[in-house]
Amino acid sequence: MPTKIEKDSISGQLTTGHEWDGIKELNRPLPKWWVYIFVATVIWSGVYFVLYPSIPGISGYFHGLLGYSTRDTVEADVAAVVKQRSVYMDRIAALPYDAIRRDRQLLAVAETAGRIVFADNCQPCHGAGGGGSPGFPALAAGNWLWGGKLADIETSIVFGIRGGHDNARQSAMPRFGVDAMLKPDEIQAVADHVMVLYGKSTVGSPAGAKIFAENCVACHGDAGQGNREVGGPRLASRTHLNADDRATVVGQIANPRMGVMPHWNTRLDQATIKSLTLYVHALGGGE
Amino acid sequence: MSDAAIQYNEDVVKKFVIAAIFWAVVAFLVGVVLAGQLAWPVANLGLPFTNFGRLRPVHTSAAIFAFGGSALFATSFYIVQRTCRARLFGGEALANFIFWGYQFFIVMAALSYVMGFSQGQEYAEPEWHLDLFLTLIWVLYGVVFIGTVLMRKEPHIYVANWFFIAMILTIAVLHLGNNSAMPVSLFTAKSYNVASGVQNAMIQWWYGHNAVGFFLTAGFLGMMYYFIPKASGRPIYSYRISIVHFWSLVFMYIWAGPHHLHYTALPDWTQTLGMAFSIMLWMPSWGGMINGIMTLSGAWDKLRTDAGLRFSVTAVGFYGMSTFEGPVMSIRGVNALSHYTDWGIGHVHSGALGWVAFISFGALYYLVPVLWKRERLYSQKLAAWHFWIATLGIVLYITSMWVAGIMQGLMWRAYDQFGFLQYSFSESVMAVHPYYVIRFTGGVFFLLGSLIMVYNMIQTVRSPTTARPAAEPQTGLPIGTAMAGA
Amino acid sequence: MDIQVSDVIVGLLMSVLGLIGLFMAAGATDDAIYVFGLSLAGFAVVFVLGLIRRHFDRQSGTMPKGTDYV
Repeated sequence: MPTKIEKDSISGQLTTGHEWDGIKELNRPLPKWWVYIFVATVIWSGVYFVLYPSIPGISGYFHGLLGYSTRDTVEADVAAVVKQRSVYMDRIAALPYDAIRRDRQLLAVAETAGRIVFADNCQPCHGAGGGGSPGFPALAAGNWLWGGKLADIETSIVFGIRGGHDNARQSAMPRFGVDAMLKPDEIQAVADHVMVLYGKSTVGSPAGAKIFAENCVACHGDAGQGNREVGGPRLASRTHLNADDRATVVGQIANPRMGVMPHWNTRLDQATIKSLTLYVHALGGGE
Repeated sequence: MSDAAIQYNEDVVKKFVIAAIFWAVVAFLVGVVLAGQLAWPVANLGLPFTNFGRLRPVHTSAAIFAFGGSALFATSFYIVQRTCRARLFGGEALANFIFWGYQFFIVMAALSYVMGFSQGQEYAEPEWHLDLFLTLIWVLYGVVFIGTVLMRKEPHIYVANWFFIAMILTIAVLHLGNNSAMPVSLFTAKSYNVASGVQNAMIQWWYGHNAVGFFLTAGFLGMMYYFIPKASGRPIYSYRISIVHFWSLVFMYIWAGPHHLHYTALPDWTQTLGMAFSIMLWMPSWGGMINGIMTLSGAWDKLRTDAGLRFSVTAVGFYGMSTFEGPVMSIRGVNALSHYTDWGIGHVHSGALGWVAFISFGALYYLVPVLWKRERLYSQKLAAWHFWIATLGIVLYITSMWVAGIMQGLMWRAYDQFGFLQYSFSESVMAVHPYYVIRFTGGVFFLLGSLIMVYNMIQTVRSPTTARPAAEPQTGLPIGTAMAGA
Repeated sequence: MDIQVSDVIVGLLMSVLGLIGLFMAAGATDDAIYVFGLSLAGFAVVFVLGLIRRHFDRQSGTMPKGTDYV
């Protein structure tokens, strides 16, 4: 199709003279504001390249006149926050728990710090406010596995439980079913007895009580009161680590699940761990 | 000029139009399900294949590649034939293979996601065997498209075709680059990318950002450059803008990917580069908006009567908004607030719903009556309802995500007077819940609008009220009223 | 017999793809490859049958209604 330049009657502009399937184009110049802003962004980028890290070389790159670096920035920010915290945190680190608790302002800081550290690190397993979830202890309930005194809580946080640290708290319940230590009907009988200890059943099992006395009392206590020395859960309680139905009890005897808690001493500093300890202690179960 | 001599291949266009409409509904439906899962986690149903993590790539792939891709195939095949006055190169069998092969790819990819297979690279989730199959389809698409352009009977190549060619070439390079992976074996759907660590991240976002730039922007600009002048009956506002913004857009876009990796292990100089090119990309992007909207000057009244055109022009408006928002979010300091928040999700959806989906709806409302040789659309009123419901859906979606995203960003960086974080992450999750419910509502609106479109399209093809008067001269071979057979 | 070049090339391509699909399904070590391989073989068979059908439809001039190309 030959070039045929026409004048558009509405805009007064000339067309380019081409046509595709009835579509024509106006030969209108670029809008000035568009050109100016485009040029401005290019100039701005040029200036930015000079001021900030930009052009790569063979070994390294041009660092920019301002010497800006995201790593330096974040390190400065972190240092500033650490400095801000240190006003109180240094004292929390230095003082014993009794002294911190006597200083109301210091205690408020510790519980503020403990709250946020707990919510971001502990809450996924232990639940909001330490409410717990199946398999993960309810810290607010007072039914402690390893003790609810400040020192006990701190030890659990610092070294963790079965988490691989040399000083981690260790305990293991035998796999009575999987390792054929008890026969299936014996496991059922023990479960009947445990349900009585749970207070969920009145129909006990004399056979189960006997097996319990032979196999379980070392860790769980003769009346199911638990044993904190070895982390043996208290069974004579309304609150339990796992679900309190009979099927779960049978499963826990036959092939027990045992949770793992990381050691936090490599992730949180001492003052933060102490704050966390005070917060957890104050959730409702502290002793 | 007369087209009567040329028998265009409209059969493959029709198939892709049907596919685009079908996949649109699928993509929106899965999106609504996902939005529901985010607001109410119980909607995950506890099943592996209905889990959010597996359904999310189904949604993104269905929206971008199934719906967007089918719309691009349909319109590019339609436009290239009309503006080159040449029948599609490569024969009917090849075009059919591209259609069915592409649909096969989509179904296989979606199946693999719900079965739990993924490369773990965003928008490039399919494993190596699917990547290879898609490469075959895409190369053949390039052969057909560029072949048609080479066989053209017009002396010049129309601007829409520049954009389509840029898309075809660049997507090919991006796809091959980001999916360069070594399979564990030829019988195992698991592979390892040649790049690892930050290099892998850099290549991923070079791919990811230019999938936006060349698939969702260049391709759909090609669509815009045909349907807006056709529907408005006006010449393109400025040929010079077309040239300058085309070349600046394709040159600038390819560098902008690093802005997805601010404050990461990516070197600072690379971040600066990505940010600066994103800023410079602002006007090149807006060149398309000027040409799209200002082409209507002299024909603004058509917006009142043509709902399809209203979709197209509103789409260009959303395009302008998100191509301004994008450069703003790419600024390192702004990104520090916006990154990893729902602001990003909102930004993507103002582009995906407002620009990509709306410009496609505009094209589909134009194409269906033309392709099926109908007098007109079944109902402009229903199309207008679709427009307003969908627009309301978008507004609900992006405003709720702005609020949620900025709130998240502010909560995550808030410190108390002692230097401790003021809010835990879980508190920020609880805080956005109402906005997730609003977003879900917006998604439902958008889905409802698309269902109105489906009904309107079926009626346009089927209803006797839209039939053309018999006397009208017609081009092409016998006209059927039924939809094209397989 | 007026066979289109396009039909021949695409038909051969589909045959090769179908065979690849069968081999992949036969050796598959996971569900994704198994499903993909079998589906690819099935897709190839159905597509080639479609090519044949359209070839004879063209010859006898009985294209499906609504198909508007030569």
